[in-house]
Amino acid sequence: MGLTLRLAWLVLDNTFRNPLRTLLTALGTVALVLVVTLVYTVLDNLDRITTEKSANLKLIATEKWQIPSQLPYRYVAGLAQGAAKSETDTRPTDYMSWAFFLGSLEADQSSRDFNSFIFAFVMEPEKVLTMMDELDELSPDSSDYKNLAAAVEKLKQNKQGIILGQSRMKKLNKKVGDRFKLYSRNYKDISLEFEIVGTFPQGRYDESTTFRRDYLNSALDQYQRDKGKAHPLADKSLNLVWLRVPTRDAFNEVANQIAEAPEFSAPAVKVETASSGIGNFLEGYRDLLWGARFLLAPACMATLALVIANSISISVRERQQEFAVMKVLGFQPYQILLLVLGEALFVGVVAGFFSATATYAFINFGLGGLPFKIGFLPTFDVPVSAILVGTFMGAGTALLGSLIPAWSACSVKVSEIFSRVT
Amino acid sequence: MVASPTDCVIVDHVAKSFRRGSEEVHVLDELSLRVPEGEFLALMGPSGSGKTTLLNLIAGLDRPTSGEVTVRGEPISRLSEGKLALWRTRNIGFVFQFYHLLPVLSAYRNVELPLLLLPMTAAQRRQQVEMALNIVNLSDRMHHRPGQLSGGQQQRVGIARALVTDPALIVADEPTGDLDSKAAEEILALLVALKSSLNKTIVMVTHDPKAAARADRTLHLEKGKLVDEVYGAHTFSGVH
Repeated sequence: MGLTLRLAWLVLDNTFRNPLRTLLTALGTVALVLVVTLVYTVLDNLDRITTEKSANLKLIATEKWQIPSQLPYRYVAGLAQGAAKSETDTRPTDYMSWAFFLGSLEADQSSRDFNSFIFAFVMEPEKVLTMMDELDELSPDSSDYKNLAAAVEKLKQNKQGIILGQSRMKKLNKKVGDRFKLYSRNYKDISLEFEIVGTFPQGRYDESTTFRRDYLNSALDQYQRDKGKAHPLADKSLNLVWLRVPTRDAFNEVANQIAEAPEFSAPAVKVETASSGIGNFLEGYRDLLWGARFLLAPACMATLALVIANSISISVRERQQEFAVMKVLGFQPYQILLLVLGEALFVGVVAGFFSATATYAFINFGLGGLPFKIGFLPTFDVPVSAILVGTFMGAGTALLGSLIPAWSACSVKVSEIFSRVT
Repeated sequence: MVASPTDCVIVDHVAKSFRRGSEEVHVLDELSLRVPEGEFLALMGPSGSGKTTLLNLIAGLDRPTSGEVTVRGEPISRLSEGKLALWRTRNIGFVFQFYHLLPVLSAYRNVELPLLLLPMTAAQRRQQVEMALNIVNLSDRMHHRPGQLSGGQQQRVGIARALVTDPALIVADEPTGDLDSKAAEEILALLVALKSSLNKTIVMVTHDPKAAARADRTLHLEKGKLVDEVYGAHTFSGVH
């Protein structure tokens, strides 16, 4: 132990012998650990949200045979009860219905651009705080909760109210209290007037909006009155229903009740857990995620190992005489091996830790999460474990990259280095 | 060869050969010699005569092809690599022609380097290092790095590093070869002082007759054999 500590000082001295080379090696490590940390963050978050919970599960009820799911709105009442018929049937503890409404502030199609668009969840306003992912976990004492609760309250009182994500509101160049007209893109010939009553907390719902379900229903009714016929989407205006159940057994029972209920047979409904639903949704990105996990991350590690191997090799070549001198002084080959490995390990650990910690701090506290713009997936926070993974990644690849140079250093033959036959 | 209790080094019928491609090069040929405790021995000879090879064998840096090298009663050719390394730390001080100090370490830490391998406390190490630097008269330069020292000063640090473990035997490979005459004279005076006041046994390879003249005895090698032996001013030719 004493010898190890004494050698550690030598490691530090040698690490700073060529500060520029050490800095460049460290920067290479920082960059590659950054990429690996980001990949790890995405994969870890996807793993987490597709991992089945055992309690307090959220279920998704969608159309069984068609994507996108388009159910009649009349399904909501029955699905909210889990198709329960008798007192003994299992009922969900909460529910939320969603219709997706895409519209633009520009009436003229040719002048519509991305910034003028709004994507809205059309839903029951009171469910914003109880059923929407992450919002249902806000602490009632937090300012985010209080602000959102106030916005929801205004939404309940104002049929034409709308809650906007902060980033979307900025892009629309609007503020709370402003009014605007929204021309629908998916609900043809429907245009709605809104008043902004509040915003979502910063983060996952930055680009989202929500307005009241009964406002859309009224618009569809008005369409029928005006045109003398039902809107083409009038009976297809329910995209999905969220249900909350306490246990996996409750999920199985509710899923069976809905599957066996004749009123949900045309069109048929399927029920799955939210994590399973997201997992199925991500199937489309399977190759991309496989590539990130098994190609990109290993490629980064291999590149990092090569960068370090190159740097340490140069250093070892320059110091062959020094290693020979150390052997003359009594250093054993394994001690020289440890010395070289230690130098690489030091750079790898410090750079890996710095990179992962800086990524953690910047993304979680600076950006408010890593945006992952696929479907309705949330922004991803860098997990604390990424700091450990990044540090180990830096250390592991440094060790890997320094193995051959270290072996070459400890194999230096003193008699060959100093032997001029004289 | 019968060992005497006063012999520090016994080289007994030692041969050393290398392979150079398909050719076998015989560097030392059945060479024998004794170095008594406290002697200052100089090895001279033309390039390729085997001086440095002999020095490396005595210092345990290489192994003979045949024969035996014994230092202070220890047949070092039989020691394993690991034991030989530790043995070198405790028993041999090595002085190089080009000093070979670690450039990133101060003079103090260069001298301390071999002590890191020994079970000593920091205080014991400090005492030893300061004593060694004091002997070579470099106490005031202990925090300087090699690049901040002159050649003569660097060589004195090298000698302090060789001394610091208090070895019985100091081997020096052309210690004055890279120095001007004034610095060389200082180093030779230092080696003589080590021999006379600390009773160190010194084996020195040199090309310089003036340096060899400071030794108690000079052996001349040619083609791997001892061909001449000089005690002070006396020459005994035909020594094998």
